[in-house]
Amino acid sequence: MAAAFRAMLQRDLLLAWRRRGDALLPVLYAVMVATLFPFALGPEHTLLARISGGVVLVTVLLSMLLSLDAVFRGDLEDGALEYLVLAPQPLALLVAARMLAYWLVTALPLIAVAPLLAYMLGLEGPAQPVLLLALLLATPLLALIGSVLTALTVGTRRSGMLLALMLLPLAVPIVIFAAGAVGAAQQGLPWVAPVAWLAAALALAVVLAPLACATALRIALDS
Amino acid sequence: MNAIKLWYHKLGSPPYFYVFAGYIQPWLWTIAAVLAVAGLYGGLVLAPADYQQGDAFRIIFVHVPAAWMSLFIYGVMAVSAFIAVIWRPKMAEVLAMESAPIGAAFTLIALVTGSLWGRPTWGTYWTWDARLTSELVLLFIYLGVIGLYHAFEDPRQGARAASFLAMVGAVNLPIVHYSVVWWNTLHQGTTVRYFGPSSIAPSMLWPLLAMTIAAKFYYGASLMQRSRVSLLSLERGKDWVADIVRGEPTHG
Repeated sequence: MAAAFRAMLQRDLLLAWRRRGDALLPVLYAVMVATLFPFALGPEHTLLARISGGVVLVTVLLSMLLSLDAVFRGDLEDGALEYLVLAPQPLALLVAARMLAYWLVTALPLIAVAPLLAYMLGLEGPAQPVLLLALLLATPLLALIGSVLTALTVGTRRSGMLLALMLLPLAVPIVIFAAGAVGAAQQGLPWVAPVAWLAAALALAVVLAPLACATALRIALDS
Repeated sequence: MNAIKLWYHKLGSPPYFYVFAGYIQPWLWTIAAVLAVAGLYGGLVLAPADYQQGDAFRIIFVHVPAAWMSLFIYGVMAVSAFIAVIWRPKMAEVLAMESAPIGAAFTLIALVTGSLWGRPTWGTYWTWDARLTSELVLLFIYLGVIGLYHAFEDPRQGARAASFLAMVGAVNLPIVHYSVVWWNTLHQGTTVRYFGPSSIAPSMLWPLLAMTIAAKFYYGASLMQRSRVSLLSLERGKDWVADIVRGEPTHG
């Protein structure tokens, strides 16, 4: 089973590496959105610094949403998804490998660029590491939950808008806690509690989301 | 006991359900209409004006039942969705999917009447109060379920996928509510509460209860009607539907 997990991960990472330009698109998108905010709100430093954490978080969420649609699409189109469902290894395990690969390919570059964006918007001092920590916990959570929803829409044609509609209610608590931690750190308040909540949610999602995703795939493929 | 069990299993059969729903539907409509008329008369005419909010408070006779129904229907939908995903009976799928639009409508009514009431009372149509925000998120969950159901070409597959989403939403809903409460206390919260600790006067209570029960019966009647239509469409290839179309009596 570990071999299957490793093979799946290796394959996905290799596929992503062969088309490394695609992985840059969400990052470009995030940079663009974050750059537009000062133009819309004016270059006033205090205002930008106050909203910087929230803007970066929402930007990262939107870029992930943009790429979520592709998590299973390639495999669905060439029929590999059916083989994954029929494989002797548990589907949840293979799906977990896919989620990990997706997070490594999409979210890690975003996390790498996020501190820069936050700094450009005026987020400084002790809030920076908190933002990084919040992103490190929030992005895998989003990737896990988003994959479940994407699996549900696998059998449908127009899933882009629908995915956004479905993800929003599930993303609300994540955004609240992640942005809450950054905001508290900016004001010099204790920020451990929301981060701990995020970590707890992530621990729960790591266990449950692959199982839910496997169920959702089975429903969507009707097997 | 055995008769009840038999009846319950019979209800799972679409033709039997169709006839049964058609039989109880007029009764549900009648009870809902009578209670709604009584409740509205009691609430809008008989009940005295509130000493603080004046006549503006009267919207609660619509708002509060709608808000309660938005959660109640989600509960019903989530339970049928759970049954639909685990045991896959067709009727549970139909009931879950036909509950969703009614629930979404009640949620929308609760939001609109709430904001109309908020204008004279709080001085604003919208505030990011914990309850308002949770209700808005609830509306999005409903819309997601409806959207997912209609995105599939095969309605049964869509019903199963949307049922699964409804279950995920049921887990998510309390999380959203408590995180929003937490978020709201972190920021500056609204200080005006709905009723406060004081109890409501009996002359206002009975119309409210009447409206609440009327809303329940309306939901039942609407669900029966929607399910019947949905069944006709889902089972359009079957003999019993052909019999109904030809105008022959069915023996469910």
